[in-house]
Amino acid sequence: MSELQQIWRVACHEWFDALRSRRALVVLLLYMAAAVCNMNWSINLLHKLESELVTVLQLPPSEHAGVVSTTLWKSKPFQRIMKQMAENNQVLQDITGKHPVELIYAWFAFFYTPLLVVLVAGNRISEDLGSGAVRYAVFRTSRACWTLGKFFGQALMIGLALVLSGIGAYAIAKYRLAGSGAPDLFLNILQWSIRAWVFSIPYLGLAMGLSLLTKSGSKAIVMGIIAITVCFVIAILLRHFTADTGWRAYLPYLGLLVPDAHKMDLWRNSLAPLVTGSFYLTTLGFCYLFTGYAFFRRRDV
Amino acid sequence: MDNAIVTTDLVKRYGARKALDGLTLRVPRLAVLGLIGPNGAGKTTWMMSVAGFLHLTSGTIDLLGGGPFDSDVHRGRITILPQDSELPLESRPLELLIHYGLLQGLTPPEARKSARAMLTEVHLGDRLNAPIRSLSHGMRKRVMIAQCFIGYPEVVLLDEPLSGLDPREVAHMRSFLTRRRGQQTIVISSHNLHDIELMCDHVAFVESGRTVRLATLEEIIGTASTLVYGLDALPENFAALAEAVPEAVLTCNEETCELICRYDPRATSPEAINAKLLPALMAQCGVRTIAQGSNLEAEYLKRI
Repeated sequence: MSELQQIWRVACHEWFDALRSRRALVVLLLYMAAAVCNMNWSINLLHKLESELVTVLQLPPSEHAGVVSTTLWKSKPFQRIMKQMAENNQVLQDITGKHPVELIYAWFAFFYTPLLVVLVAGNRISEDLGSGAVRYAVFRTSRACWTLGKFFGQALMIGLALVLSGIGAYAIAKYRLAGSGAPDLFLNILQWSIRAWVFSIPYLGLAMGLSLLTKSGSKAIVMGIIAITVCFVIAILLRHFTADTGWRAYLPYLGLLVPDAHKMDLWRNSLAPLVTGSFYLTTLGFCYLFTGYAFFRRRDV
Repeated sequence: MDNAIVTTDLVKRYGARKALDGLTLRVPRLAVLGLIGPNGAGKTTWMMSVAGFLHLTSGTIDLLGGGPFDSDVHRGRITILPQDSELPLESRPLELLIHYGLLQGLTPPEARKSARAMLTEVHLGDRLNAPIRSLSHGMRKRVMIAQCFIGYPEVVLLDEPLSGLDPREVAHMRSFLTRRRGQQTIVISSHNLHDIELMCDHVAFVESGRTVRLATLEEIIGTASTLVYGLDALPENFAALAEAVPEAVLTCNEETCELICRYDPRATSPEAINAKLLPALMAQCGVRTIAQGSNLEAEYLKRI
């Protein structure tokens, strides 16, 4: 059996095991419920915004949200909200004209995916180390194959969570936006799920890399939450303090280490930033994972 | 002799404490070796080091002639029942053992067949698909034992395999392990010396991270050179007994009320000893039992 086959075998087993883990299942369902609730709440807000717009612009009234999306995009408050979410003009240009529901889901998926990753996968390895379950595997395959298998198994799990949350969000959107939902809305939401999944990879590497350092599941989750918070804060600080001159000019280099600094590449329409961003985020994920692995391969289990 | 495991001068430190302090041990191929020693003697550490779980401070391990554990070389050839290690709780026994079999390099039909056979062997044929979380401690232990024998590995390391099993399962597992004699190299660590005596053909005494003695069970308990007479009273005239068998050495254990007769099997036979000694003994006291060899517990306590 080749190493790739071993990794695949461990990944499949990990995925099935994770699906049966009550805690992971609860987090997955909560995430899905949160996506659905967020969509419902956002549609309410959208409907309110549109109603106000309809009154101001004296358009024919509608009972459904989303029917005046094109008009909505022309409204200054909505553009301001989107600009804040987009963080730069190129991204704003790319997302202009997209259905608001799509963007609401994308924002939700990108914002909460790191937390989902830490809660679902953050303790999977450390719990195996703590319980000793790892000992039944590491004399049957190499530690590297086991680690990568666990990683890919959890990646599948996160992918499933994102797809299910996308389906839930679409179902609500379809129900609430009856008659106005674009026919390809489902595919677009699914596309955002995939983009969010790519964005989850560095966080998965970070969470599982940290999980390799400790035998305590709860400690691994706390470390994961602290790590994603630090990444988030660094990304914010970088946005605010980067300048063209002086020491601040070097700050963007720090951004190479945090996934948030590359998030907006996944919001672009053109292929080049999308591919380079995905490649970079994936590489970053593996770098985090292998940093943890470098410790794990030398440790006693 | 061809050895399955050769460990030389193993040292494993945990801070200032040495769990292994120069432990040297050779496990002959196809032997069933019992590892005996007090708590903290280094038995578990030795097993974990051989299986590649621990990184040694110093020393060398040669496993099946392929150097220290390397998953590329030894995958599927060595298995271990580690102490205090839980199986994944959400898994099902059959599915888990198939997974382990596949990882060891078995084909899917082989893995399925081997997993089913082993689970049936440990009397879990009716719990193949029950979550491990729902199994009792003893049942989980049986799954742990079963995973060791998937795919017929060359070397099996068992750390306290019978602890936590009910008497019926202990007897069954003893018989199962005894049947494996001469087919696989098995190392069993246990505090139950009676079990070791029944299952093993080689014994190693380990103390303070070192091997105190390694020999065949026969050499240690003297099956071929010792006769033990269980008496109903201590003999009054010991000198008369010694005179009856001048070619043997007699000792009396007052605590157990036993007479131990050691002889050179090349010079005499148990039948000849019995023919001379029994009449002299029965003239003084009653004889309840006659056994060939001492017992492991007595020999162990004598040496440690």
